[in-house]
Order: sequence, then structure tokens, then C-alpha cells
Amino acid sequence: MAEPLAALDAAPPAPSRQSSRMTVEIRQTSPAGQRILIRGAGLLIGLAISVAILAWAGVGLGNLANEFIYAIFSDSRSVASVLVQMAPLLIAGLAACVAFRVRFWNIGIEGQMIFGSIAATLVAITDFGPPALRLVVMLMAAALGGMGWIFVPVALKLKLGISEVVSTLLLNYVALNFLLHLLYGSWQDPKSSFPHSEQYDAIERLSPIGWENVTLALPLALLLALILWWALNISRFGFFTRFVHANPKMAKAIGIPVLGVTCAAALLSGALAGVAGFAISAGIEYRMTQSFFFGYGFSGILIAFLARNNPIGVIVVAFFVAILFVAGQSLQVFYQIPGAIVQLIQAIVVISVAAAEFFIRHRLKWTK
Amino acid sequence: MTSALELSGISKSFDGFRAIAAADLEVRSGEVHALLGENGAGKSSLMNIVAGLYAPDEGSIRVQGRPVRIAGPLDARRLGIGMVHQHYKLVKSFSALENILLANPKGGFARGRAAIDTALARLADRIGFTVDLTKPVGALSIAEQQRVEILKMLVGGARLLILDEPTAVLTDMEAERLLALLRHLASEGAAVILVTHKLGDVMRHADRLTVMRNGKTIATASPGTLNAGELTKLVVGTTTTECAVPAQNVGGPVLSLTGVSSGGNGRRETLSDVTMRICSGEIYGLAGVGGNGQTELAEILMGVVTTASGRITLEDAVDITDATPKTRRARGLAVIPADRHSYGLAGELSIADNYAIGDVYSGKYGGVLRMKSSAAQTAAGAAVAAHDVQGVRSLAHKAALLSGGNAQKLVIAREFAGAPRVILAHSPSRGLDVRAAAAVHARLRAARDGGAGILLISEDLDEILLLADRIGVMSSGRLVAEFAAPADRQAVGEAMVSHG
Repeated sequence: MAEPLAALDAAPPAPSRQSSRMTVEIRQTSPAGQRILIRGAGLLIGLAISVAILAWAGVGLGNLANEFIYAIFSDSRSVASVLVQMAPLLIAGLAACVAFRVRFWNIGIEGQMIFGSIAATLVAITDFGPPALRLVVMLMAAALGGMGWIFVPVALKLKLGISEVVSTLLLNYVALNFLLHLLYGSWQDPKSSFPHSEQYDAIERLSPIGWENVTLALPLALLLALILWWALNISRFGFFTRFVHANPKMAKAIGIPVLGVTCAAALLSGALAGVAGFAISAGIEYRMTQSFFFGYGFSGILIAFLARNNPIGVIVVAFFVAILFVAGQSLQVFYQIPGAIVQLIQAIVVISVAAAEFFIRHRLKWTK
Repeated sequence: MTSALELSGISKSFDGFRAIAAADLEVRSGEVHALLGENGAGKSSLMNIVAGLYAPDEGSIRVQGRPVRIAGPLDARRLGIGMVHQHYKLVKSFSALENILLANPKGGFARGRAAIDTALARLADRIGFTVDLTKPVGALSIAEQQRVEILKMLVGGARLLILDEPTAVLTDMEAERLLALLRHLASEGAAVILVTHKLGDVMRHADRLTVMRNGKTIATASPGTLNAGELTKLVVGTTTTECAVPAQNVGGPVLSLTGVSSGGNGRRETLSDVTMRICSGEIYGLAGVGGNGQTELAEILMGVVTTASGRITLEDAVDITDATPKTRRARGLAVIPADRHSYGLAGELSIADNYAIGDVYSGKYGGVLRMKSSAAQTAAGAAVAAHDVQGVRSLAHKAALLSGGNAQKLVIAREFAGAPRVILAHSPSRGLDVRAAAAVHARLRAARDGGAGILLISEDLDEILLLADRIGVMSSGRLVAEFAAPADRQAVGEAMVSHG
């Protein structure tokens, strides 16, 4: 990631404060190349600011290059840990992506992850179903758990017009406290008495694919991305979502079942979030811990936003956010940088890319 | 006497559309001056120029004899110009006092409050009404909100008062009271401009009137010198050069409404007990001043708003009262909506997508599992060529990039693709130039002669008279009169305004 360094060097000179005046004009059109350039510039500025903050916190440019590029790509174990980290991020990104396609602002991905994991863990603890199908049953349970948890805000929105932004967000806290209730109560690990569930049995874990510690969670995530790409970009359902997104009034008048499409996308979003929880519990931690979901909701939204709600783009962005996660962990260990720095960098990148959108719609003109 | 306001040669274009063309207007102190005209004649645009919201492209403005340049609403207020817009410019969650303060800052909230209290106390005797200043404006009735707007103007010291369609939303009694107030203010030396299309108000309360049509001011007169008939003729104008072609082959009913009312569930009843029948092979023109229930009727027919009571049937008495838009379209209903960018097109999506969505259920453009964008492209390309949609650089371009006339042609291309049996055309030529409008009219006639029944809802009386084989007039949500073509223009015009 050499861009931030270059961007720092190329900082623009301060504008002169002569009698010139800046006016904002609305652009009628913006060609595709220009849009990519503007968004790219936003991304670079965000990364440059992040680098500046890290440098100020005591991580020099050389160290950053070392942590983000050399340390990660020089040995296969680091690459593998990025890929392990990528799987749940990717699924959470897909969950945000499908909801945003129909303008359902699902801020409750973490709550749905929690209920996905609770449902999967319930299956694991009770040894429900034939052992050969145990993982499949856990997967289904996780999807249903996440779907069930988003059903509440969906119903509230449809029946009472309650904004899903508020209800999905607040239900995160309800879900978290229910999780703690279980982990400090009946589901506490009987072996260690720590507040996490007992370890999953071997058949309840997503098995390694035979390269480092990468598990089936990654192929599962990639498969889900492909399926969602088909659903949103190829199928008629996806065609409908484009109209629901662009102009719901027109979509309704032309005969698209707007309500049905919106509900289906929202429920699918909850199901995917539930599966993301399953991917962490059954693919990384092999048990349900009390903070496994932390940060994934925000990251999922960020990934979908940067990928412009395109499932294939989500794969790419999830990979880079995973690098950020892994490098952030080593910054924490080796430089005593607080873990929140990862969230800080994400937030800065989102704000600068979002701000760049302004320049796609407007142009600034200097008049003398 | 010097004029309070003198406009000469004012022109204004919006994106190539000439809304005002060399308009002149002279208003004197102490008079109520009515500005008359149909919807889209340019009245509001002209007044928005005086209020500083728009800058004129050409022309000069004089206030009290002095040439002025009004760069914004603040300038207008400094010149003593106040305007009550048709849609009130109030912050609903603020109290009346805060709204008045917002428009008339007096430096600091406490000081402002005191200043406005004294100003209002002084005003109260003169204007004969009070308003609860502490309630949020959203909790006030429409008439009370209007009073807040008037107070806002008067506290600001306005000497030239502009009111845009002030009586449209009031009951008869409220309207009488308002007009009496305006007369009173005028007698104290203020100049009042009353923008309206209600002839009754004008005849009774205006000292002079100016008529606008197609962006031009065409006459200034005193109401006493004209009778209602002459006034109507001035407002609605003469026919254009397009010729009426009567229907040849009228068949049985293809769309019947029986006692249809809207509202219910706490919503206002905007449509009451409408019964009408549209037959195959005819164009039924529904005339009326805008805002008398036409939009609700169109939404009910589209299937996006439910009826409170009544029945809607298609050919062979197929009931569609509660049918979804999808079912209605499948049964041969096509819609050319009034606002192309609200119900007609998804501007962010491509021209091809906007075309293909119309017939997406047929499987022509791919099945449930896989959309065939190539098929959509081909069909859209053929339709775009057949309907002469100009300015299409690529079918992948956003529909929002099309100009008004071409966007309308795209809508028509899509809606006429399935050989519809019933066509709802709501203001189909609004905002189009003469040539584009004639093309749209030709399409409608061709569809009629092909056996479709057409409901043409239009606020443009010329369009109705030109196209319709039968004419209904809508007023206050009711069907108040029906005429057979050729109808007497004057009679239709009077039916449009007399019930308002």
C-alpha cells in the first residue's frame, strides 16, 4: 500500500486568499472515469489522514510499510490469517449490501450475528440432528436466528412505520444483553467457568481446507457472494431491487411488489448476518464468546458502502479491511496502539469517500 | 400616483422552457390587484421574481418608481415586498413566534420576542385576528398557518403584499374574511397582489386585474368593465391550430367508476362519489383546475392508493377495485402519469431498464432466474426508434438525462407496447413544446382509433377541447358537469371555476 506515502508528498499547496471567490455548481453529468478518479482521490485522502494519525501516534512510515505490506505478504501464515479474518467480514458486508439495495438501513448486523451464533450454538450444545448433518443444521439455524432477529424491525416498519435505523440499532443492545445472560448463566463453559460457551465438538467446526488455518468459512463466504451476485445482478428479483432503490413510487405503480421485495431483501440480510456469526463461532473461535461480533456491524456497512453494494466488490473490499484488522492487531501488540485505531481508520476512509461523492454531483469553480 | 410596483419586459426560462415571456405588470398603492391565469401561465414564477426567489433573465423592476435589483428574499423584504406562497414557507416544528422571528430577526431571542409582541399588539386591532404564538405551526389549521404567514409579512413592514392562491385551501367563510382583510390593508395604502384563478373572488374584491397566458401578460382591466364570460375567454384563450378529429367507432365501456371516494383512515376525502364511464374508441377528457381531486383519481386508477368506497371495473365488468398495479396492467391498463419523474420513470436507471420493466412479467426479457439484458436492449432500441425518442446516446444512459418531451415519449413507448385497452393519460403534454405535444396527441388518437378507451386528465382546457369526445369537469373532488363534443368552451370554463 504505497499510495498513502505518495499522497502525503503530493499534498496540494494552500490556495491563495486573494479576492478570488469559490462557487459551487451542480454537475449535470459525470463520466464514469471522472467518478472513479474522484472516489479514488477520496480514498487516498482518507488513507493519507490515517497514515498521518498513525505517524503522530508513534508508528513511523517505515514501520507502517513493514506492518501493512512486508509482514503480511512475506509469509503464508500472515496471508492465511488475513483470509481467515476476511470470511466473516465478507459475509457481514453481503448482509449490509443486500439490505442497502432496497434502502433498508440495517444497522443491526451485530445483533443478528449474535442470534445467528446463539441458534448455531444451541444446535451444537444440544447435539441436535444427525452428526453427519450437524454443521448444515447449525448453518440453517444461524440463518434462521439472524432472520428472526431482523423480523422484529421489519414488522415494526411495515405495521407501525417505525424507522429501522432506530429499531435495528437498539435491538443490538438487547441481543448483546441476552448473549451475556446466556454466557454468564446456563451456557457458561462448565470446564473453565469462563463466560463463553463450551467448545464445539470436532464435527461442529468448519473444517480446515488444508492450507494453514484457513477453514471452510472462506469458501462458504465466497459462495454466498456469488449467489448474492446472481440474486442481485442476474435474477429478476435483482432487477426489481434496482427499481425499488431508484424510485419506489414508480416501482409500485409499474407493478413491482415493492413490499415483498423489500421484506425479502431485509430478511435475507438478517439471515446472512446470522451466518456471519456462525462463520466466526464455527470457523474461527470454535465456541460462542462474549465479544465475537464486535466491530463487524460497522465494518459490514463500510464494506458494502465502499463496494457500492456490489457483491463482487464486497469480496475485494473485505480483503482490504481484513488486512486492516490483522495489521491493527500487530500494531496493538508491537506499538501499544489502541485497538480502536482500526475503527478510526475505517471511519476516516468512509468519511473521505462519502465526502468525495459531493464532488461527483458538484463542481467547485474559482472566480476572480 | 407612483406605482407601488412596475414590471416591464420580464422574461425567465428554465432549462430551455420559457416560463415568462416579456411580461409587464403595474400595481398601485391602495389597490387589490388580481393576477389571473391558468395553471402554468407563469403567475407564480412572475411573483417569485418579485419576491426575489428567481432572478429574471431580462426586464426591469421598479418599486415606488425607483429601479431596483432584487437579488434575494432579503432584498425583497428591505423593499417592503412580502409574499405568502401557495405552499407556506413555515418550519412546522417551530412555534408561530419562532417562525415570525426567523423571517424578521431582531437580534437575540428575548429582544426579538418583545419586539414582535409589541408589533403584534399594534397589528391586532388593524387586522382583527390573533394567533396562538406558542403552538408549533404544524399543530395549527391551514387557515391559521396562513395568518402566521400574513403576520410574518406585516411584522416585516411589507407595503406590497403578494398572496399566491390564498383562497384555494380555505373554506368559503375563511376566504371571505381573508379577502375583507386584504381590502382593509389596501385601504390603508398597501398594494396587494392576489394571484388566483377564481373568477368570483376577482369580480367581488379586486380593483384591477391582469391576465396571464403562456407566460405573457395579455390584458389589464377593471373587473367592472368585463362580465364573467369575457373574463373566462381572456383566461383560457383561443384554440391552437391542431384540429379536433372526432371518434368514429365508440364501443362498450372499458373503464367504469361507480361512486368512487377516496380518504378514510384519517385521510382527507379528496374524491367524493365519482361515477363515470369510458368507452372503447373514445377519449374522455376530464377538465378542472388543478388540485380538485385529479391526482387522487389518477393514483386510485393506477392502484397505488386505495379507494374508501365505490367500485372500479374494466371491460366485461372485471372488478379491479382492489387489484394490484400488476394485475391492472396485465388486464390492459396503461398509465401516462402527470409527473414523469415520480410515477413514470426511475431516472437513475438506464433507458433500456425503464423500457423493459413495463413488460417484465411476460418473460420476454428473461425469466425469474435470469434477466436477458440483450433482449431488453434490442426491444428498447426498436421502441426508441419507433417513437422517435431523441437524445438517446446510448440505451445504457440514465433516463434522467432525457429532456421532458423525450422522457414522455419513452413512457408512451413503454405503455403503448402492450396494445392497452384502457389508457390513463394525466397531463400528457405538460411542459412539452407544441410539436412534442402534437406528437403525443397523435399517439393518443391512434390508440383510440385502435379501440382503446382513453381517460385524459388535463388542466389545459385547450388540450381537452382538442382531443376529447366527451368532457367531464371536476371540482372539489366531484364530477360536476359532463359535455359532449364539440363542447362550448365558455360553458366548460365556467363549470371549472364556478364550483371552486
